[in-house]
Amino acid sequence: MKIAVLVKQVPGAESPLPIHSNQKWVDEDAVAYVMNESDNYALEEALQIKEANSEGEVVVISLGPDRIQKVIREALAKGADRAIHIQIDTVGAIDPLATASHFADALKEENFDLIFSGLQSDDFGMAQTGVIIGEMLGMATASLVMAIETGGGKIKVKRELEAGWFQWVSLSLPASLTIQSGLNTPRYPSLKGIMGAKKKEIKVVTPNPVEANQSLEKIYVPHSDKQTVMIEGSVDQMVEKLIHTFRNDIKVL
Amino acid sequence: MEAHFTGIEKIVLALGISITLGSFAYEVWRRLRIVFKGHQYLPVDRFGTRIWRVIREVFLHEKVIKGRFWPGLMHALVFWGFVVFGLVTLDHFAIGFGRPLMSHSVHKLYSYIVIPFSILVLVGILALAYRRFVSRPKALGKISPTSGLVALFIAILMITYLLGETGLSPMAWRINWWIHSLVILVFMFLVPRSKHLHLVLAPLNIFFRPFQQPDHTTVNIDLEGSEDELDSMLADLTRLTKNQVLDVFSCVECGRCIDVCPANRGGGILDPKNHFILDLRQPLLDSGDVDVLGGINVEAGWECTTCQACTEVCPVGNHVEKSDEIRRLEVLVEGKVPQEYQKLFMNLQESGNTEGHTDSPLADRLPTYTPDKEYVLWLGCFARYELDPNFTKSVENFTKILEVANVSYGVLENEHCSGDPANRLGDKLTYTMLREHNMKQLAQARKVVTLCPHCALNLEKEYGKYTEINYSVMHHTQVIEQLMNEGRIEVEKGTDGKVTFHDPCNLSRMLDEVDAPRTAIRASAEEFFELEELGRNTLCCGAGGGLWWKKETQGRTHLVRAEQVVASQADTLITGCNFCFGMMNQGLKPLTPEGRSEIQVKDVADLVAENLVETTTA
Repeated sequence: MKIAVLVKQVPGAESPLPIHSNQKWVDEDAVAYVMNESDNYALEEALQIKEANSEGEVVVISLGPDRIQKVIREALAKGADRAIHIQIDTVGAIDPLATASHFADALKEENFDLIFSGLQSDDFGMAQTGVIIGEMLGMATASLVMAIETGGGKIKVKRELEAGWFQWVSLSLPASLTIQSGLNTPRYPSLKGIMGAKKKEIKVVTPNPVEANQSLEKIYVPHSDKQTVMIEGSVDQMVEKLIHTFRNDIKVL
Repeated sequence: MEAHFTGIEKIVLALGISITLGSFAYEVWRRLRIVFKGHQYLPVDRFGTRIWRVIREVFLHEKVIKGRFWPGLMHALVFWGFVVFGLVTLDHFAIGFGRPLMSHSVHKLYSYIVIPFSILVLVGILALAYRRFVSRPKALGKISPTSGLVALFIAILMITYLLGETGLSPMAWRINWWIHSLVILVFMFLVPRSKHLHLVLAPLNIFFRPFQQPDHTTVNIDLEGSEDELDSMLADLTRLTKNQVLDVFSCVECGRCIDVCPANRGGGILDPKNHFILDLRQPLLDSGDVDVLGGINVEAGWECTTCQACTEVCPVGNHVEKSDEIRRLEVLVEGKVPQEYQKLFMNLQESGNTEGHTDSPLADRLPTYTPDKEYVLWLGCFARYELDPNFTKSVENFTKILEVANVSYGVLENEHCSGDPANRLGDKLTYTMLREHNMKQLAQARKVVTLCPHCALNLEKEYGKYTEINYSVMHHTQVIEQLMNEGRIEVEKGTDGKVTFHDPCNLSRMLDEVDAPRTAIRASAEEFFELEELGRNTLCCGAGGGLWWKKETQGRTHLVRAEQVVASQADTLITGCNFCFGMMNQGLKPLTPEGRSEIQVKDVADLVAENLVETTTA
């Protein structure tokens, strides 16, 4: 089984997020980056499938500038066999269709049996990339996957529905799955893994330009301020004015 | 006693002694050979101190009696009796060959010493047998038939000795003599095959015990090194040291380590006697080698608070705790790490602190260290990132004390976590990164003071295992004591009601400091009393060994100490460790019964600063 795992480097939950002076994006130099949470689970799932079948290959693929090689190395240290780095400046890139096109281009020659991606990224949370890639490469797709059973050229996946319901779906291969956090227990890179990762291949590819249909216009911290309004008059007048203010100005009634 | 043994009797006796001694020697040798396969050397530094330790712990039975008074005393009676009996036993067999060592009158004279001792041994062994087979405390574990046999043997030896001194008829004396002899021979046969081997190994083990607590081997990671170097380093991680193997064979299975273990007392599965020691015994004997750490109980290893209570209390000199060995295998070799600790390690790697924060308002408010200042004030993540916001005041109280005493200090701009949680949780790679970073930051430092005993231990003793340290580290209570002794600060007794002190394990057991905080507390508290478990025998608050960051826990390790404090009726609890401070603040509130006023938790620095007499120096 040949499995591709898409990993994304995202700002850590505790990281400061100062906005860049051009207001197009955050100041990346001040950001502490980590591997996207659900991608970590996707990687673990791929590694476990490979280990259970004691054959196959796990290839980790990431898109972004040079800094993302850190999460690629982390994935290789955990046990991925090799990596593809789609080198692109992602500042302000928020178009999932464009992102998915880059991935589809890089993946189509490889003929993967499975493509795993995290359910959604912790920064933009579009939750579309994995599904669009599946569509572009003519694969079966399933989102919100909570368990995977492989065997006989098919797979069965458990999907999370609303209100505590689940659904088992059988898919033909190849398939693109988006993985929900918590379906396994991700490992920690062992010392041997960290040392071994240095020798693993990271293929850097430069994608063809794709026209983005959407981009960031401006980002800013929501503005908030305090206002005090004095309401005066007789009790009846005050009540009337208060209700008017509640109803028409701050619209809470 | 004049006795004539026949030639056949002498041959039987000689055979019996040869077989028993031969098998005894073989069994001991079989174990010692495994000991010598362990890595590292048995330490002999500070020879005089080691001898003194053997006198205190073996001949005076200090720890045996201190740990459990009555059973300990009974054991001491048996032991002292054995010492006295050494000569009697040699003489006993010499008589069998018709060549007594003592003349009749010397024998008679010596018996005036031996007879009272034999009665004391009899009392001791019967009391111990009663405890083991009738009252049966949990820590002793399953009933051991060998122990019963040994108790019976010792009782028979004493009785036959006493009978031998009563002037029996020659025939009766002879039968009595043979019973005594056979029992000794069978006893000698049993000793090396059972926990009674501690008779031989405990004195050696106490002599060779490392002085440092905890004493784990270093893990030197060279990421630039070759694959072979890495493989041999990793292979070493599953091997025991000579000291550790000697521990396993010396264990007397008394279970004092279980009694004091905070994880066990809090309902956890950790049983230090079995998980850290006895589980290794059979694999060692079966394989004849020391490559046995791979089979140790991992789940138990993660429960340990690394408080060293088990090691402290062990009467045969074992370094019991093995969580370091278990965890580093899990982290470095297996990559199996609980998720909350993975998060912790990532934070440490990415931001240099446990919380993944970037700003510390407290550090920003304090003066920055420059080499003209006397002390580096090492804050540690707990204070820096307000793991308990109340502790910020304690740090400020300490700086107030320094300022009143005109002591110059400053904080490092680029202080990272000392690495204590990574070190204790087995992530020696992250620990290496943090240690190397901090050593650079401390290049100019001469004196370091910190409120965190975990940091203090790591910055000096633990870093010192890897690299040369050019600064000295003091715990803030030691600086306070020094300032008081030098008359640079003055305190008066305050109004904190009944005040008690919780000894932090890192301060008391690992840094061996139990007096400094008490000096400060006695001077500033009107009514000071001690908790039942105190000093080097303190009970861990539950936060050590990285457990502060453990999320869900089945056990109640973190509540056992707090319950004791509530029961002590204290009004104010003083601690000397930020983690203890945080744990007690969390634990005491929900445990305090309704109607009782809340127990105040304070650091030593709080108590002293609140009761400072601020004299204006001319």
